Amino acid sequence: MSRLIRLLIPLTSIAACIAVALLIAPNRAIGNERVVAPRAPSPEDRYVFGQNLVIDRPVKGDVQVWFGSIDVRDVIEGDLLAVGAIRFSGRGHVTGNVIAAGGRVENEEGRVGGRLVTPGSLEGAMSMLTQTNSSRVFKLVAIAVKLSLLFCWLIAALALTMASGREVRFSSIEIRTSALHCFTLGLVALTSLILTAIVFSFLVPYLVGLPLLVFLGAFAILTKVYGMVAVFHAVGTLVAGSRTREQLARRKWLRGDLAMVAIGVLVLGVIRMIPVAGTIVWALASVLGVGVALATKFGRREPWFLAWRPAEA
Amino acid sequence: MTTDACVRYLEDPEAHPGHLEECAKCRALIAGLDNSAPPDARAVHIDALPLAPWEGSSHRAWPIVLGGALAVLSVASGLFLLAGVSPFDGVARAVASSVPSLDAVMTLLRLVSGAVQHAPAKLQIGIGLSFIAVNGLFILLLRRAPRGIDV
Repeated sequence: MSRLIRLLIPLTSIAACIAVALLIAPNRAIGNERVVAPRAPSPEDRYVFGQNLVIDRPVKGDVQVWFGSIDVRDVIEGDLLAVGAIRFSGRGHVTGNVIAAGGRVENEEGRVGGRLVTPGSLEGAMSMLTQTNSSRVFKLVAIAVKLSLLFCWLIAALALTMASGREVRFSSIEIRTSALHCFTLGLVALTSLILTAIVFSFLVPYLVGLPLLVFLGAFAILTKVYGMVAVFHAVGTLVAGSRTREQLARRKWLRGDLAMVAIGVLVLGVIRMIPVAGTIVWALASVLGVGVALATKFGRREPWFLAWRPAEA
Repeated sequence: MTTDACVRYLEDPEAHPGHLEECAKCRALIAGLDNSAPPDARAVHIDALPLAPWEGSSHRAWPIVLGGALAVLSVASGLFLLAGVSPFDGVARAVASSVPSLDAVMTLLRLVSGAVQHAPAKLQIGIGLSFIAVNGLFILLLRRAPRGIDV
């Protein structure tokens, strides 16, 4: 029970920090950006799956293109979601938000009334911080943004390790013992989370969907944060861990869970700076982290499912 | 070759003290046992054992931890300064932008919900079947006990 409490406190703290950050720093509260109010579904909403779309006359509703590209040549009075490339031309303009998942956005300057969201990329932060077209400045800001996020990871990892060092160590050992199982479990868990989120989104109009999605999102974030800390510990131990008792005794500073986690954060952080390869390595580490968090039940090493046995007289 | 007499002796040596004089094999067996040494000294040599993961783990290496954190923060601040951005503003905005805004999340939820309900029937059936298959596999994988031990 005490172990459960020790784990719950830091995880709850992290969740609370994220929730507070969401409340106190929503981007729409900064500056004089346009606020786009949520709107009800319109009969003119357009949904396209697996095909390309050209908007050459005004649309009074949302437009969604899944697994295809869209060429916006006229006004969309609503939001645009595209899993694919987006290209603006002519009178092309979107009055609401544009969510671009997994594709390029071309010629979008001044054509988006709301917010341009590119999930999983740091372009939003970089464009907020610099208005220049200089590629040198843009690169500097990109590295600085990544380092700032690395600093946050370091603080979160150290806090979690101080509160639940034993659990993090258990998970780290599991990574080194059963890396392939953890990775497979991570892949399956991520797929499961996405599919479950899609199924829950069926229920959004019936009120129950939103709380379920919020719970699922919070669980996914906590799993990823905890798992990444375990990966940091495992990487730190592999790189700088003591191999023998004599080596451990000789070391003054370079030992202990905190040092291993810090070294793991720095090593993976430096790797993340490498273009393309760094992003892939970080993504693989995330999958591994999610897997190990679930495989060890957040380091508690308890079964997720109890076996049924009949009561004995 | 072990005889019935050997078995009886090994089961209860004190009841058959004369057996040692008759059987060379049992005599050699008993002579091989170093009964004079205490059991702990015979079995355990701490330095010969591999290093356990928990050994030294509670040590808190503040110089490394604080040094690493300050180094990362200093380099980030320096790069922001070079780019003409206030370091405090830069770090704050970088952190804030990593958290999706409620506005964007709500828009995404509304759009995905609409898309799922307007998706072709084949796609909806595919999503349902995948949901069952993937979660079944997920439960199977979760049933495996962890292998790593922290002795």
